[in-house]
Amino acid sequence: MSLDTRARPHQARPRIHPNYPRRMRLADSLQILAVVSVALVVAVFLADGGAARISTPADAITALGIVTGLVGTDLLLVMMLLAARLPAIDRAFGHDSAMALHQSLGKPALYLILAHAVLLTIGYALVQPAGFFDEVWIMFSSLPDMPLAFLGLGLLIAVVVTSLVIVRHKFRYEVWHLVHLLSYVAVLVAIPHQLSVGTLFREGSLQRYYWLALYAGVAGSIILFRFIVPIVRSLRARLTVVGVDQEARGVVSIRLSGRQLRSLRAKSGQFFIWRFWTPGLWWQAHPFSLSAAPTGSSLRITVRGLGDASSTLPRVPVGTRVSFEGPYGLFTDFARTSPRIVLIAAGIGVAPIRSLLETATFAPGQATVLLRSSTVDDTYLVDELAALCRARGAELRIIAGKRAPGTSSWLPGDAVQARITLATLVPKLREADVYICGPRKWTDEVVRDARSAGLPTRQIHFERFDW
Amino acid sequence: MRARAVSLATLASLSVLAVGWQVGAQANASMQALSAPQAAPATIPAPSAGPATPTPAASAPAVSGPATTSAGSTTTVPTAAAPAPAAPAPAAPAPAARPTGTFTGSSVQTRFGPVQVSVTIANGTITEVTALQLTNDGGRSVAISAQAAPILRSEVLSAQSAKVSNVSGATYTTRGYLTSLQAALDTAGF
Repeated sequence: MSLDTRARPHQARPRIHPNYPRRMRLADSLQILAVVSVALVVAVFLADGGAARISTPADAITALGIVTGLVGTDLLLVMMLLAARLPAIDRAFGHDSAMALHQSLGKPALYLILAHAVLLTIGYALVQPAGFFDEVWIMFSSLPDMPLAFLGLGLLIAVVVTSLVIVRHKFRYEVWHLVHLLSYVAVLVAIPHQLSVGTLFREGSLQRYYWLALYAGVAGSIILFRFIVPIVRSLRARLTVVGVDQEARGVVSIRLSGRQLRSLRAKSGQFFIWRFWTPGLWWQAHPFSLSAAPTGSSLRITVRGLGDASSTLPRVPVGTRVSFEGPYGLFTDFARTSPRIVLIAAGIGVAPIRSLLETATFAPGQATVLLRSSTVDDTYLVDELAALCRARGAELRIIAGKRAPGTSSWLPGDAVQARITLATLVPKLREADVYICGPRKWTDEVVRDARSAGLPTRQIHFERFDW
Repeated sequence: MRARAVSLATLASLSVLAVGWQVGAQANASMQALSAPQAAPATIPAPSAGPATPTPAASAPAVSGPATTSAGSTTTVPTAAAPAPAAPAPAAPAPAARPTGTFTGSSVQTRFGPVQVSVTIANGTITEVTALQLTNDGGRSVAISAQAAPILRSEVLSAQSAKVSNVSGATYTTRGYLTSLQAALDTAGF
């Protein structure tokens, strides 16, 4: 036995898939662009002599108020871009991460806009001089376009408050979504006062064109990628329901057929936001993942009757027209970095795992599928998974059993007691990409287990489906 | 964000901010340089410009006077030079005479738009200051100058000169207002 490690050079470092550096370069560029866009609006303010004009405390407060408004608005625009389904953003970060970032920017943006309103009122009031609330009235009544700006602020507060997760669960998704659309109104009604009250974006100035171009770019992206592209794709694909297969109690696979589906470039593991055009369902749109590899003429999703919409889906008649937005998501083979693959699913999270297993690149013996459920009976698509595993040389493990109360592990209580972890379940975990799909909390627990096994972020991929 | 993205973003942001700061500082310096000499040329032509002086003999050169002097930029036009009484006072002329009439100051460019005032003088007393143009760059600056102008007017009327204190919060309006006023007073030989 040789001690010379040079004899096995490949094992020194696992080979990284070439897609990864390319994707990261794109991600880096997008992140840099977003950060620089913030710096740029501040620079525009400075270039206009904004800082040099400060001579009194009131000036300083006013200047700070202007800067918070500029940065807050820039963040709002970044947020809207993150939600605009830009192909580049989806390719670099995936829908899930983009929306998580969108969510995390919500509160900072609101606080900046609030600071903008408060600081400018104080700054103006000091100069006037007037009391705070007198100044609010003076601004409201004497400055152009301020009533609209106040309206925008009110709407923004309403949108962020309803978006806070706790509140969101008290509303129907559609109500929450409708309120959320008001954020577009909030951003739009704030534009006039930026152009008329402030002097930074005065008529004919270069920065006015830059600012308007930002707005136009964001609006254009939203209109193009959230409306035009989905409508054109839906019309071209002409998807209809061709079959509904009962998988288990309350779980159905819906088979869809259409034309020119190759042009969608959908991949296994991705999801679409579907709309079924029946009298009771047309007004709801819901995200469901592909549960089979897409072909040029057919798609399949597997759905559990969870929400109010999905409970009527099992009865959707054959022949129903289906429109869609998508495909979205980075829960695909495109995100791979390593030669091995581990697919972990709980509940209906098995759907994208099933389609990934069908087409992911791996050699026989390099893939593991872990299916987690509380009893053996509430696993879905098991027969298909078993057949695919046999055909492709993957290992299938079903981990059934209740979690121990009060513990935070994704594994059953007895497994935790036996010190079983992801690392002990999967051989050569460090050389694998781990794909996790299941309920939010459970997913977080698997991710934590994978991290503590020493897996870097780039090898952990997850999709939360309960939003 | 990866370390590389963080450092690149920081570097790019800092340079963008530095450029912005530099441009701002330069713009501000040139603005101050602009507003300083603007007061000066207004005073130079003043002694020679005699349009307001009620001297019949001086009326001929006086016509060309304001047109060529152009103290500020556009205007040093006396709008209502009081016509001289024809017969008497042939040799008791300008310097001692108390100016009378309405005189328009130069239009002074400020960061928030042009400011221009005219002043009415009756027998050496400033009786009225009218703002012809006030900073109008954005609703906020309109509001500021609309508020500052009456204050400046009453201060000028009571001080009888352009040497009055700054209206706080309306520094640019004040500067433009008083510069234009001084130009008008110089024209009047006040």
